[in-house]
Amino acid sequence: MSAFSPARPVRFSTGTGVIRALAPAAVLGALVLALWQVVVSLGGIQAYLLPAPSTIAAALVSDAPQLLAAAVPTTTAIVSAVVLGGILGVVGAIVITLFEGVAKVVLSLVAVASCAPIVALAPIFNAWFGSTSLMSKIAVATVAVAFPIVVNTTRGLLRVDPLHRELLDSLSGTRGQLLWFVRLPGALPSLFDGLRIGSTMSVIAVIVSEYFGGTAQALGVVIANSAAVSRFDLTWAAVALASAIGLALYALVALVEALVVPWRRALAS
Amino acid sequence: MTTPAIQLSGVSKEFATSSGTTLALDHIDLEIPSGAFVSLLGPSGCGKSTLLRVIGDLIPPTAGTVAVAGMSAREARRTRQYGMAFQAPGLMDWRTVRRNIELPLQVQGVPRAERRARADEMLELVRLTAFADHRPRQLSGGMQQRVAIARALAMQPRVLLMDEPLGALDEMNREHMQRELLRIWRATGTTIVFVTHSVPEATFLSTEVVVMSPRPGRIAERIAIDLPFPRTDDTRVAPEFYAAESRVRSALHAVLDPYESVTS
Repeated sequence: MSAFSPARPVRFSTGTGVIRALAPAAVLGALVLALWQVVVSLGGIQAYLLPAPSTIAAALVSDAPQLLAAAVPTTTAIVSAVVLGGILGVVGAIVITLFEGVAKVVLSLVAVASCAPIVALAPIFNAWFGSTSLMSKIAVATVAVAFPIVVNTTRGLLRVDPLHRELLDSLSGTRGQLLWFVRLPGALPSLFDGLRIGSTMSVIAVIVSEYFGGTAQALGVVIANSAAVSRFDLTWAAVALASAIGLALYALVALVEALVVPWRRALAS
Repeated sequence: MTTPAIQLSGVSKEFATSSGTTLALDHIDLEIPSGAFVSLLGPSGCGKSTLLRVIGDLIPPTAGTVAVAGMSAREARRTRQYGMAFQAPGLMDWRTVRRNIELPLQVQGVPRAERRARADEMLELVRLTAFADHRPRQLSGGMQQRVAIARALAMQPRVLLMDEPLGALDEMNREHMQRELLRIWRATGTTIVFVTHSVPEATFLSTEVVVMSPRPGRIAERIAIDLPFPRTDDTRVAPEFYAAESRVRSALHAVLDPYESVTS
């Protein structure tokens, strides 16, 4: 053993590591908010143009019951779409990978299609499922989530270390075993890349779909309606809440990734 | 002598290229006795890696037959007679060291408890028991290569095919691994076919060195190395070693085209 250097210790980031990583962003965010507050109050900017952060915070508190009630169907739609789109995307990627010969062509087609603004389909889905149904929002967002996941996961599945392939060949491994032992675990990091993009897409797709009519009190409806009656403090408060939901979802995906793909962090350090 | 571990008869391999076909291997006849440690030595492009892959049924020969333990190479691969190790360890980042070694057994359908027991046995053999639950990237290059060798040995293969497995290591690790490899070979009785372009490495490890000439790949000379075992670092400075190494070296130099600067 002495001839070898000792194992390099790998630092898995801890709670304090996360705090340290987020601290600069938090400080910067606080500075931006403070600057915003100062510019609005000293610059005499009208509230309907740009309300001060303090005004938005006040709306968040005073309209909390309405906002929280609105957040429920919106969050439900966002999370459902991430789960459904995730399943759809991974299954789609596996199916594409099974047709090895044409997989690359299909992948480029899907990648091109994924550039389409999926959320533009919202009025169509509203017509299909009913504009006030949760289903139409979930449907639009599911499609929006599935695309980046299909593209990223397929790329991951197709990228096989030639040595791993040769190893499986030398063991007379089946295609199924190559998929299960090599392709799928190797594609997990790419899958999570797709899932992180998808979770952002889901928030956008659901909120924008709700602009075209939503379940009675969804966040997108609150945003659209409050803007229509010039209650921009409420509009901004709803936007802030929607952002918070998006952030929380992103953090959740990152957490699941850290649990499912622990070796990735080991590589990064 | 019982059935040879590996028997090649008239093996040729042509590759299609843009400018027609290239003959990579030209009528190779080779018999490797069971339990031998045979090195394939030659300059780059002599087809030694190709020959290794033909033996392992990873690429089919254009002509000729390969028999492994009395079976066809295809049958031998299907009944999992081969262990393989490559220049890079090729470990899977998503598996711990132990689970990397278990992989061939998993492919074979060995039950979990037996798999684990066998992996632990292999870990002991390559002296990495303490690192069983580490991730490959937490290990040094030499240690990773030992894990790869343990993985190749996990199925207790009849034949171990190694393609420059120590090529990426520095001199000190390399000599250490050579000793380890000989120890493992002697402990398991596996037949090893070892591709290298290092004269001292081939001489130190092998019972026989097969020197190959390039374009087309042919067997130029077969040199039996009858240095006694166990071979140690003392072996490397013994006069008999120099004599054997010199014979291998001159055989290699005889096949090098003087007009081409091919590194040996």
